[in-house]
Amino acid sequence: MYSVESDELISCPVCEAVNIDKRQNNICRRCGSKIYHHRSTPTEKSWAYLLTAMIFYVPANLYPMMIIEQFGSESGSTILEGVIELWNHGDYPIALIILVASIFVPIAKFIMLAYLLISVRNPLNNNTKINKHKVYYFTELIGPWSMVDVFVVGILAGLVHLSSVKIVAGAASTAFALTVFFTLLAAHAFDTKLIRGSR
Amino acid sequence: MKIELNSEDELDAYIICHKCHTLNREVLIENGSKALCCSQCGIVLYHHDNGFLDRGLALSISGLIFFIIANVFPLVQINILGSESFISILSMIDSLIASGYYLVGLFIIYLIFIFPLMIFLLYFFIFYLMKRGTREILVGNLLILLARIIPWHMSDIFLISILVAIVKLLGIADIHLGVSFWALIIFVLIDIYFTRNIHLRELWMLRKQVYQLSEEEAPHVLG
Ligand SMILES: [Zn+2]
Ligand SMILES: [Zn+2]
Repeated sequence: MYSVESDELISCPVCEAVNIDKRQNNICRRCGSKIYHHRSTPTEKSWAYLLTAMIFYVPANLYPMMIIEQFGSESGSTILEGVIELWNHGDYPIALIILVASIFVPIAKFIMLAYLLISVRNPLNNNTKINKHKVYYFTELIGPWSMVDVFVVGILAGLVHLSSVKIVAGAASTAFALTVFFTLLAAHAFDTKLIRGSR
Repeated sequence: MKIELNSEDELDAYIICHKCHTLNREVLIENGSKALCCSQCGIVLYHHDNGFLDRGLALSISGLIFFIIANVFPLVQINILGSESFISILSMIDSLIASGYYLVGLFIIYLIFIFPLMIFLLYFFIFYLMKRGTREILVGNLLILLARIIPWHMSDIFLISILVAIVKLLGIADIHLGVSFWALIIFVLIDIYFTRNIHLRELWMLRKQVYQLSEEEAPHVLG
């Protein structure tokens, strides 16, 4: 016979089974995965990934994302220049998609993850009005959208490579892909069990 | 809130909402379209219906077929300044790698080819083995692998990217959509159906149900 408090229950990050939190060496009763808890460095790994992502985001915005080579001349455009170009061309929906996916989504993810990482380490600063689980859920929900521009450049570079016209992926595409990759890792490394007092 | 349990196994009746972390108790719902929603935030926690296994198997097979069509046939026929070419998803990735973008190319190969293929193969084998009622441990391992790949799945984003790329090209090129474009749309629709309607927890519960039944049946068959 067991008797447990409901806040002693945790869900397995792999199979979502509800488990009793035994404080140490938690192993999921259903799938056998380790459920980490109370590590000595709970947020450092996530911070490291997040900072790496932020660093790559700088060249991602400064270097050209896409280069068009036409009759021997080259013209490159950064993410923001690409958006402005599309806007001036009258492609408003596409311009908005790229603006949201490449500028708003990564920055929103940086801010939300940094907020989560800072707030879970400051019990005094515990704001119970904001449900941090929902913030985390939201970062996961919008995350994949930041890949749109990398995919678009990849597709265009793959499609247009003729002798007269050629589209080439710029240095920013690599930097941007790395930003997305490290932000996903940062979100994944964040331990949601650090969130307390937000029910 | 105190919870009394006779065994840890009874915890299967509880669900922690993945959005807001509220503890919910499972309620048996009638077979049909009804689903249980979180008491706090209203997100769908699970569905319940008997046709789950058969439909999952059928859809994972159709998903695989459309995925193959989408990757083998030409995606678009493109005509720029008189030069014409047919391009498929695989030749697109190939030319990306050939022009030296190994990192982006590799990233894209994983996201749009390897992971979606693996996810659908995993769904297929999981449903197939559960249908046959064999290899319980293997099914468990496949479910763990599935859980690790799902966060990297973004076929829907890829489809939107294709649309954006096509719109960007409309100004400078003549574009005709190929068979593979339509196959890709159907694949992504099946994919969205899976992510929306098949939660990992339901697959684990189905596994429990399937193999418990076959254990109870076994002595009966022998006797
Ligand atoms: Zn588990
Ligand atoms: Zn909820």
